[in-house]
Amino acid sequence: MSDEHIVKSYDEELQHLNDSLVQMGSLTEKLLYDSMNAITTVDKDAVSKIVESDAKINKFRSSIDQHIMTILVKRSPVAIDLRYAISTLKISQDLERIGDLAKGNAKKILPLPDDLPPEMLKRIESLGEMVQKQLKSTLDCFIEKSVQKSLDTIKSDEQVNDLATASIKEVLEFLSKDKKNLDFATNLLFVCKNLERAGDHLSRICQNVHYLIEGDYPQK
Amino acid sequence: MELENKRESKVISKNIDVFYGDKQALFGIDLEIYKNEVTALIGPSGCGKSTFLRCINRMNDVIDICKITGEIEIDNFNIYKPDVDVVRLREKVGMVFQKPNPFPKSIYDNIAYGPSIHGIAKDKNEMDHIVETSLQKAALWNEVKDRLHEPGTGLSGGQQQRLCIARAISINPEIILMDEPCSALDPIATAKIEELIDSLKRSFTIVIVTHSMSQAARVSQRTGFFHLGKLIEMGETEKIFKNPNNTMTQDYITGRFG
Repeated sequence: MSDEHIVKSYDEELQHLNDSLVQMGSLTEKLLYDSMNAITTVDKDAVSKIVESDAKINKFRSSIDQHIMTILVKRSPVAIDLRYAISTLKISQDLERIGDLAKGNAKKILPLPDDLPPEMLKRIESLGEMVQKQLKSTLDCFIEKSVQKSLDTIKSDEQVNDLATASIKEVLEFLSKDKKNLDFATNLLFVCKNLERAGDHLSRICQNVHYLIEGDYPQK
Repeated sequence: MELENKRESKVISKNIDVFYGDKQALFGIDLEIYKNEVTALIGPSGCGKSTFLRCINRMNDVIDICKITGEIEIDNFNIYKPDVDVVRLREKVGMVFQKPNPFPKSIYDNIAYGPSIHGIAKDKNEMDHIVETSLQKAALWNEVKDRLHEPGTGLSGGQQQRLCIARAISINPEIILMDEPCSALDPIATAKIEELIDSLKRSFTIVIVTHSMSQAARVSQRTGFFHLGKLIEMGETEKIFKNPNNTMTQDYITGRFG
């Protein structure tokens, strides 16, 4: 396929869409990192910044929505361009949801109980790191438009799910030992669940990258 | 799919080559057109799509320097056999052109002309009936029923085009060829013709040449993409516009053709 449209401004519009989505992706990466960091270091002061970043991500999402609407109205895109418009619309929705989940996690910061087993926190940190790694691969697969990377990233979501399940189990055990940890443990359960859901959104993004390139969704 | 099961071939083109003098305009066109469906032919100017359309009712025969080899079968009968009655063929395969071309006669006579030269109507009553049903099928009856004896040329562009469609269907064709039927019309008239095409496909097989990609996507079930006299890709319209197989098709429909 030749890369350029006869109408140069059409290329510029698609490039702008691409750039906005990549920028939105980097903001989401930063937000997810900050949110995990705030939880594990019990940094309550970080929350207001995280809320601000999330609002910025939401703005990106509405501006991308508007931009895609303009492309649909002006260009009536077909084939690869149509798939590009539809996929980026969906991808921006998933990125926004990941932002919401990360913000939600940061809002759940409570002081760490004295009897918190260190390996439990370590495991949740690992879960956070794994989701961050997934987000990076997902953004790479969008930037590189790589079918193989999208398939690999979807596959590795299973590891996120396994680690989230193990973490949840561990938190429940911790909770059952002493009911005084109820608030803390409940929040931690939400954190694990939200990270797992962020992983699901990332898989969906990869499926949409696959659709963008191949015109169909990957076989389960 | 349900659609797939019911499909029946109406026109089959086998290795059609067309030459205008020394210049070859079409190269080995093989394609199939299904009954009661709309098939759109798209491609840049000069790609051969109209030339191919005109092969289906042997309109190219009127051009002296035009030579055609290969076969086109309609209902399994090769229309390029030497003994084919071309007048009968064109009775079966009607045509509508880019620019509405009503005869300089009344609306009534525009429709009645075909049935009268082909001896289709027995008497005045029957002719009245043909005129009315043809205009109804072309979604024009309500607009002209009170002025059937006024000149056809006095109608608006969109009405004239529907008059031409009514004229084409008045002799009960099986196939209607449309060569850019909306390119001279405004969006409302275009929408009316597109609506008409959709209803006509129940009774006829329609082949439409169009420069409007969105029109091809809206009205047709199958689309063929021509380039430099070759059929590059033919397939389900949805597939062509969502995810074509051929890179050249994609470049053309997305406006990347350089």
